[in-house]
Amino acid sequence: MPVEKFRSGEEMNAAPVRAVVANPFDRFVRHCSRYRSIFPRRYPRGVFKFRTIEEAQAARDRVARAGSGPSR
Amino acid sequence: MDRDELLRILRAFEAEGLEYVLIGATAMGFHGVIRATEDVDLFVQATPENLARLRRALRAVYADDASIDEIRDADLLGEYPSVRYYPPSGDLFLDLMTRLGDAASFDTVEAEIKQVEGIRVRVATPLALYRMKKATLRPLDHRDAAMLAERFDLQDGD
Repeated sequence: MPVEKFRSGEEMNAAPVRAVVANPFDRFVRHCSRYRSIFPRRYPRGVFKFRTIEEAQAARDRVARAGSGPSR
Repeated sequence: MDRDELLRILRAFEAEGLEYVLIGATAMGFHGVIRATEDVDLFVQATPENLARLRRALRAVYADDASIDEIRDADLLGEYPSVRYYPPSGDLFLDLMTRLGDAASFDTVEAEIKQVEGIRVRVATPLALYRMKKATLRPLDHRDAAMLAERFDLQDGD
């Protein structure tokens, strides 16, 4: 029920709040989805390999900045 | 990140008996420390049998993607301990790691089982995540470490 009507403030205060308590996983994926809708990005496709985590992070940062993929 | 796609991946990991530990921001999400990400980071046990399970699991989710064959034992067990897979969906990507420098690997990271939609998910503990995040140079990781520390009352010496 997205809309509830009340005749008075007292009636409103007496009504239970219909909060949906999501589990952490659902809160996480919802947050990620909102982020993606605000900052949409284009990713490359396929498999890329890295010798170190620093290489991998640098490639990810380049993709994030450019909105397109790293060279393979 | 698409919820159903992520669940399909985790379900396929379980169905194939993949030995893995979820790390990074997705693991933090399972612990209720929420920040946006589009990648799923995981350590996989570094054995040829396990990497075959990994490829089977990914093929179960992305049936027509021939690039999964490029996730090679020779790389992950050799000079390239980090392989990034961008599936055709475009909604997320996977960072598949056999080790993180000399500091961490599947065998050294403490993990616990979380359940989502009946799927058992092996997730690094908050303390393990905190230690990994603290040990890196990126400001983002340090912010993650601070969030984990605040949420789980972790100290510098932990």
